[in-house]
Amino acid sequence: MSALAAREVVAGYEPGLPIVKGASLSVAGGEIVALLGPNGAGKSTLAKAMAGLVPVASGAVLLQGSDITAVPAHLRLKRGLGFVPQTENVFANLTVRENLELAASLAGLDRRAAREEMFGFFPDLARLARLEAGRLSGGQRQMLAVARALLAKPAALMLDEPSAGLSPRYVAEVFAMLARVRQAGVAILLVEQNVKAALELADRAVVLVDGTVRLDEPARPLLGDPRLPALFLGAREHA
Amino acid sequence: MLQLVADGLIVGSVVSLGAVGLTLTYSLLRFANFGHGELLTWGAYLTLAFLGLLLAGAEMAPIGPFSFGWPLLAALMLALPATAAIALAVDWALFRRLARHGNAITLVIASFGAALALRNLVQFIWGTLPEYYTREIQIAIRLVPRDVLGGLRITPDQLLVLALTAAVVVLLHLFLSYSTLGRAMRATAMNPALARLAGADVAKVARATWVIGAALACIAGVFAGLTGQIRPMMGFDLLLPLFAAAILGGIGNVWGAVIGGLIVGLAESFTVPLLGAEYRAAGSFAVLIAILLIRPTGLFGARA
Amino acid sequence: MESALSYLAFFLVFASIFAIATLGLNLQWGATGLFNVGVAGFFSVGAYASAILTTPPDPERLGGFALPVAVGWLGAVVASGIVAWAVGAAALRLRHDYLAITTFGVAVVIQLVALNAQWITGGPFGRQSIPRPLVAEIGAGLLWNLFYLAVVLAILAALYWAFETLVRSPWGRVLRAIREDEGAAESLGKRAMAFRLQAFVLGCMAMGLAGALYAHFVGFVAPEDFLPILTFQIWVMLIIGGSGNNRGAILGAYAVWAIWSVSGGLLREIVPQAEQARAAALQVVLIGVLLAAILLLRPRGLIGEERVVSRHAGQG
Repeated sequence: MSALAAREVVAGYEPGLPIVKGASLSVAGGEIVALLGPNGAGKSTLAKAMAGLVPVASGAVLLQGSDITAVPAHLRLKRGLGFVPQTENVFANLTVRENLELAASLAGLDRRAAREEMFGFFPDLARLARLEAGRLSGGQRQMLAVARALLAKPAALMLDEPSAGLSPRYVAEVFAMLARVRQAGVAILLVEQNVKAALELADRAVVLVDGTVRLDEPARPLLGDPRLPALFLGAREHA
Repeated sequence: MLQLVADGLIVGSVVSLGAVGLTLTYSLLRFANFGHGELLTWGAYLTLAFLGLLLAGAEMAPIGPFSFGWPLLAALMLALPATAAIALAVDWALFRRLARHGNAITLVIASFGAALALRNLVQFIWGTLPEYYTREIQIAIRLVPRDVLGGLRITPDQLLVLALTAAVVVLLHLFLSYSTLGRAMRATAMNPALARLAGADVAKVARATWVIGAALACIAGVFAGLTGQIRPMMGFDLLLPLFAAAILGGIGNVWGAVIGGLIVGLAESFTVPLLGAEYRAAGSFAVLIAILLIRPTGLFGARA
Repeated sequence: MESALSYLAFFLVFASIFAIATLGLNLQWGATGLFNVGVAGFFSVGAYASAILTTPPDPERLGGFALPVAVGWLGAVVASGIVAWAVGAAALRLRHDYLAITTFGVAVVIQLVALNAQWITGGPFGRQSIPRPLVAEIGAGLLWNLFYLAVVLAILAALYWAFETLVRSPWGRVLRAIREDEGAAESLGKRAMAFRLQAFVLGCMAMGLAGALYAHFVGFVAPEDFLPILTFQIWVMLIIGGSGNNRGAILGAYAVWAIWSVSGGLLREIVPQAEQARAAALQVVLIGVLLAAILLLRPRGLIGEERVVSRHAGQG
């Protein structure tokens, strides 16, 4: 049984205008799946639909085998699905500590215990606890956002382009952190533009083009595979 | 001089409480609610109505040096949930439905219409003549002799309004800083989509914001009635100061709204010797224009 | 018969004057997306400006320059345009709801001046003996009302034609692009601000002209003619008629003024004298509820925005 799965998901912002046109994928516990594809392919929309932020017209989102398609977005973290959006993924007007404690108490956890556990996992954050999150660096923000999503010990974690806008040093830091999270047995779905870095980290890659899955294979062998540029370029010509 | 400062701070504390509610709903629901002033008016009149019911014709025995007695506080306690119910009803009937389809500016027009309806409903029910919670005459205490900066006289009611405003603001600060709901309100104001991901039920948070905003408006309305008159136009006349204070403090910033309210109160107070009492409101307008020209994000606001 | 005709003429003059102001608001809101909550303020600036220019000299007040009525109307347009320019220059570069708050503040201050600056506005009693054009030649009865109606209708028609031409011109297409597409607005940069300001000033000039026409029909102006309820009425007219559509704006003005006059008349008939003030309050409540209902149930108004114009813009 996969930890997180999408089954024939059709989703979009406007009714009748689907951006994701029947996509299926699955992520097992302790596995990292990279969701790749050209700009506008619907990668982010699929992740947001699975997080409950974009309406799903048909199909289903499964978390550890149970259908969560109808579960409101604000209850999904508690159910075991964390999502880290691409931009503005921390509450800039709250301190690091408040960011963590808020998510913890909303998930019904003891906020002090949950916060200390995350500080143990990310010692850098403990040092920054009293700082407003708006004053963190890009890499520190990603760390805080991931920590907030991990608080409730989710079965699955989705990240939307965690490397976007980060310098190479921070990208390496963030990806090293994801490798640690994988070791804890969490299923990770990683939406990425940075194809090379994602393929090096991930176990499997799913390539989405124009809202449909075109490739679902082990990640490593895809490095240097000529089909990838063809899929990316083909979409560009198509548009 | 001192007297002007004191008068300004008393008006300013009413403005502060109103502006805190306005800034909370403004940042969370993302539209300028022209109906917020009417919540002050309704709070003041509902308290008056409950006071009438509680007294049932009897006289209100004043507490100590104050002009009013316990029944007024009891009436206020009843008026708080009633004012919140009005805010929730308008949100349910109008704003929530419009927010689903329209844009923020449709909500502004709707709030303008709701404000007129609410204000005229007050006129319909209570008439236009000014009312008072008590006819008790209060003697102002001389705190500072006349030869020091013009001296300072203040009534016990006015002192109480200042103290209670400070207490309410401190309580609100503790609530927003340490309670989960308060933190969720700040988080939702910053980023509603992320708040949902963090586990906040945004609709519930919005309702809580209306309740708190309306309760603060109700208290502000009663303070305004206690230190002045209860009139159907009282909330409308405060709307410009409220907006000026909220923008001055930076939309969404509670302490900013408090400081903004006090500054606006002082600006109005100092307008009196400059232009005459009839131009008080021009002081608010001057503050508004100044902040919009110089620093539209407000004194303490970071976001545009 | 004659009294019915007289009443109809009265009704049509007021409705047509409001239609002129509604056209101005439509240029701002319908075509450009500018939110003006100070309609009553600009309306009263026009009314007072024309009154000051055309009334006979008055030793206690500013002016009384006894100029021809046409000069008064021109002055009204210029005065409201200047005030609009000052407001727009300060507030148009900010978030759209800040314009709403600023125009609201302007209207409050103008109301303060109207009430208190005795030497300009006459204070609470207002300014009297505003000349009614050609009343000496025509006589004060029904005939003059009809004559004035013809003048107002001619101005309304000319303004309708002018605004229609404007919104269909390249200038109007730029306005719509600014309204509908933040990106387009940003790419225009400072010029977008200039376009917005032009639309705002032109719209306020129409409101000022409407104010002047009102003043010369009634013969006097006083602060209570320009309360916030006037702003609200003009907005309801535009929204009910259908913003973005000049014909809708005019239709809305007549429809809403009809509803307002009839409901007011009914209340006066039904409700005893002593309760009239309360009844008037109830009338406003009902209009407020009507606006809310229209916004909820028929957000595009009686006539929606003309899509022809937008499609044209898409091709152009």
